[in-house]
Amino acid sequence: MSKQRQSRFAIISIALTLGAFTLFVFATFVDPLSAYSTELMVAGLALLIASWGIYFFGGRRAQKPEESTENVITVIGCGGCDFREERAFTLGDYIFKELGQCKKCPGNSYIRAIYAVPLKK
Amino acid sequence: MPSIVVNIIWMVAFFAIIILFNQRMQIWSYQRNVEKATARLQFLADKSREDALNSIKQFAQENVDIRSQVTGFLDFFLIEPVDRDPFGVLGRLEHILDNRRDRFKAFVSQIAPKAGKTDAANTEDILEAAMALNLIFKVVRHYLLLGKKTKSLMIFVQLDMQLPMIMKMAEAYFSAQKTFSAGKPIGDGLGALVASKLMLGQPKKQIAEEVVYAELDLSNRKVVVLKAEGPGGVVGKPGEAVKQLVENLGGKVARIFMIDAAAKLEGEKTGEVVEGIGAAIGDPGPEKFKIEDVATKYKIPVDAIICKMDLEEALTTIRKEVVEASDVIVERIKKAILERTKEGDVVIVAGIGNTIGVGQ
Repeated sequence: MSKQRQSRFAIISIALTLGAFTLFVFATFVDPLSAYSTELMVAGLALLIASWGIYFFGGRRAQKPEESTENVITVIGCGGCDFREERAFTLGDYIFKELGQCKKCPGNSYIRAIYAVPLKK
Repeated sequence: MPSIVVNIIWMVAFFAIIILFNQRMQIWSYQRNVEKATARLQFLADKSREDALNSIKQFAQENVDIRSQVTGFLDFFLIEPVDRDPFGVLGRLEHILDNRRDRFKAFVSQIAPKAGKTDAANTEDILEAAMALNLIFKVVRHYLLLGKKTKSLMIFVQLDMQLPMIMKMAEAYFSAQKTFSAGKPIGDGLGALVASKLMLGQPKKQIAEEVVYAELDLSNRKVVVLKAEGPGGVVGKPGEAVKQLVENLGGKVARIFMIDAAAKLEGEKTGEVVEGIGAAIGDPGPEKFKIEDVATKYKIPVDAIICKMDLEEALTTIRKEVVEASDVIVERIKKAILERTKEGDVVIVAGIGNTIGVGQ
């Protein structure tokens, strides 16, 4: 269950509680409605129970695998020149792993850095 | 008239509920939070066990059921030595930690015989993360059930108040396991990364367990750099390595520099580099003690350079800010060596931390 859906449930729950509170106020303080105060009280209680039900049971999170939140970059450099290349991390990469001859010069290229860039906060 | 009666009944019932069931309602509310957290922790613990099994399977022998062995091993425990008589407690602790490491290695070689040195070290880290999640889940579940059994509000309140930190720790271990499975470098490897940058291109020699060192010349100072042997996920015994190097040099060491990742306070920036003094190493005690002991014996100043990060950043893939900080630290060390030592001096630079994904 997404966080947006959870917060939607919370808003519905608060709205129902406010509705129940309004009915209680009407039933108690508005004279023309005094004849219906019992019905209003029962309706208010029903709203309150619905609100609690949504608050307690609606907010349960379903457990599902998390999506990846980072982009891992492998930076390739060369000991003999200023060659620099960035690519996505692949299994087996590690910092200072030698990768053979450089694309630009006869020097040896190697993995200069690996780092993560968060995709979302 | 009847409406007034209904209102009175309603008010009496309302206050009766508030007065009589106040604590019970609070228990429901706290219990609900704890139950939600426990469900999440159970999911993390189960998922991490499955992920560990999937990682190990590729190195296991065919037709061998590793599930029951791994599941049983997740409850493996360590009893810390008695400290009511503190004399020699660090020696006894080191002995027990050595035993634990040996058992881990033996277990990994038994269930994953096809794993090479690097994969075996990473598998140990994967199991460590799964064990940590298993323990966190079981402890939280214990207090949840105890609270339900005793109907104690205080148990739920205390648990609920600690949940944000507990969940943060659990999520950090869960993310860490994915990083270990892929063999990516982690934030805690900052010290090892700095050491690797300093020793790049120099011949390496083995010293102490899973620790390598290299010697280089820096403006006529002999700099001995050491780190755990990568790229597998090990921390080695850097304290033992420093002790052996100092003893081999007859105590003639001008300074010891220690580089490590350190927990940041909220509000501090990730990758912030700070200097201080003392043994910068987050081990349970024995390795730190060896460094302090040998430094005190020969009156060697110990400088510490740390890089700030939070627990999740320390356990998951190293951030760009931390990689950039490693270059800053390399320059700071070179500058500090020039400023605080003289020509002909010997300096030890110890890069502390888990060297997963960092070669040398």
